[in-house]
Amino acid sequence: MEGWSYYWENRGSRLLLTAYVVAFFIFLIAPILIVVVVSFSATSYVAFPPREGLSLQWFQRFWEYKPFLNSLIVSIQIALLSAALGALLGVPAALALVRSRRRLANTVMTFLLSPLSMPLIVLGFALLFFLSRIGFGVSFLSLLIAHTVVSLPYIVRTVAGVYRGISPEFEETAAILGANRWQVFVNVTLPMIKPGIFAGALFAMLISLDNLPISYFFGSAETNTLPVVMLSYLEHQFDPSVAAASTIQLLVAIVGLVILERTYGLQRIGMPT
Amino acid sequence: MKDRSILKGLDRRQVLAGLGAAATLPLMPRTALAADVKQITVTSYGGIWERAIRECFVTDFKARTGVDAEVLIGGPPQWISQIEANKDNPPIHVLVATPDSAAVAVKAGLVDPISVEKVPNLANVPQQFIDMALGHGAAFDYGAAGLAYNKDTVKNPPKSIKEFVERTIAGEWKAGLPTISYAPAPQAFVWSFADALGGGVENLDPFFAAMQKMRPNVVFWTGVTDFLNLMDAGEVDIGVYYDGRTWAHYDTGKTYIDFINPEEGGVMSPVCTMKVKNAPEIAWEYVNSMLAPGPQAEFAKILNYGVTNTQVQYDELRQKRITPWEKTRFPPNDRIGELLPAWTERWNKEIGA
Repeated sequence: MEGWSYYWENRGSRLLLTAYVVAFFIFLIAPILIVVVVSFSATSYVAFPPREGLSLQWFQRFWEYKPFLNSLIVSIQIALLSAALGALLGVPAALALVRSRRRLANTVMTFLLSPLSMPLIVLGFALLFFLSRIGFGVSFLSLLIAHTVVSLPYIVRTVAGVYRGISPEFEETAAILGANRWQVFVNVTLPMIKPGIFAGALFAMLISLDNLPISYFFGSAETNTLPVVMLSYLEHQFDPSVAAASTIQLLVAIVGLVILERTYGLQRIGMPT
Repeated sequence: MKDRSILKGLDRRQVLAGLGAAATLPLMPRTALAADVKQITVTSYGGIWERAIRECFVTDFKARTGVDAEVLIGGPPQWISQIEANKDNPPIHVLVATPDSAAVAVKAGLVDPISVEKVPNLANVPQQFIDMALGHGAAFDYGAAGLAYNKDTVKNPPKSIKEFVERTIAGEWKAGLPTISYAPAPQAFVWSFADALGGGVENLDPFFAAMQKMRPNVVFWTGVTDFLNLMDAGEVDIGVYYDGRTWAHYDTGKTYIDFINPEEGGVMSPVCTMKVKNAPEIAWEYVNSMLAPGPQAEFAKILNYGVTNTQVQYDELRQKRITPWEKTRFPPNDRIGELLPAWTERWNKEIGA
């Protein structure tokens, strides 16, 4: 009897857990699926489920409405460049701060992560005035710097997390065996922290692609990003082309993840090798 | 040796800083580098607005001056922040703004005063449309906030706001009304109803009293497209809305929708055009294009909104649809702006939607 009771209790818990997980995924994925389905709608307004069949007309509209396409290109450029620049600045910072024994190191680390704790709209506004004051104005460079400021904490945090878990003995051994600092970094440290760099850069890219509050202040005719154009479009027109834009943005993120999976392997990201 | 003499007196940091600055030059805004004006930057909302701005005003401006106009999509708060941060070398040369944003730009000294000498088409724009930009621009188009309704479910539509309120209280229909967080709601709804019900900008008591009674038969909306979704879904039958947007929805095949300009008059909801301070003088020509009768008539045809040049001849359809500006009410925007925090607080306490 005890065995049966245990079985039912265990089975009940498992069913409850399964139901919870299914509900969790439904809440997480259903809104995304609705957006994707609406983007294939043949109706001229947002309706779910689509009432007049399916169509690709809103993707055609996305293609024809130049601000959508141009801003998507800018979004992708900014996402890639800010992640790269973030890595260039964030990796040395993370390495130095993790191994540093100075008290100031913790303060500097907190400072580097501070953009995460600030409302992005405030950060965007402040950066607009700061970058304008030093002469960069509203430009692609300003937009890139602003996005890098936001992407930096993700890279610093992940790289620091991975590097902290690596014993200094690996680097010390290489140094004892005659490797100079550069050789130690390229041949020992870099291969071990690569998962952290990839994970941080990936987060940074995804955050950048979706970023509205920062991009909002730096949009020019040449540097508007897709979220800014979508917001403005939505305010004055509410047809499913915005859903098509979201589907394309989603597709860009998925393609990025697939490429990463094929070239590096997602399961390795975030885990020290 | 020559190279050394060039670098003489410079330390390593200065050289690196110089190289860094040089590397950023291609990325700097074009206006910072070029003194001659081959292009100006103008502003527009997105979607069909942007198409209309390009087709009507940019085309006219380019044909007359040979200068190109780049269109920046976004909204007034974003543009005003960008101009404020770059007053000496503004990244935007012509600003479009609602009267409340226009007032902010004027008070911050971001825009130039307008005159007939600079903008000849201003001569045919009624003074009211210049006053609402505080003499620093002029409204070039407008919508009227009245009542949109479903012809299938509201067979006998109300003729006035007062009648709308009474019949909403009686539960004849479900009404869709904006919340105060919808930016134009203070003018298009709160002031409008207070004014129609015997109150005014200084006395909202009649408005809040009516709201308490209407509440059971009201569905609130927060974004301008929400109302149309509620109408399409059959959740509301009637509500506060704009003429141009109603007709735009009608043209997408939703022929059930119709618009009423209430007897009290719809609320004037204009968009102003303004030349930014320190922008090239040629920007006045673009403002002139925005106030020219030909481009304005085309603009009205695309957007179904009224335009402000008295010389504009609307086509037959637009004549039926567009609310004449003389039959609208001009809200006291300045005073509403001052009172808005108190209004919002009272709304949150008494309505809470």
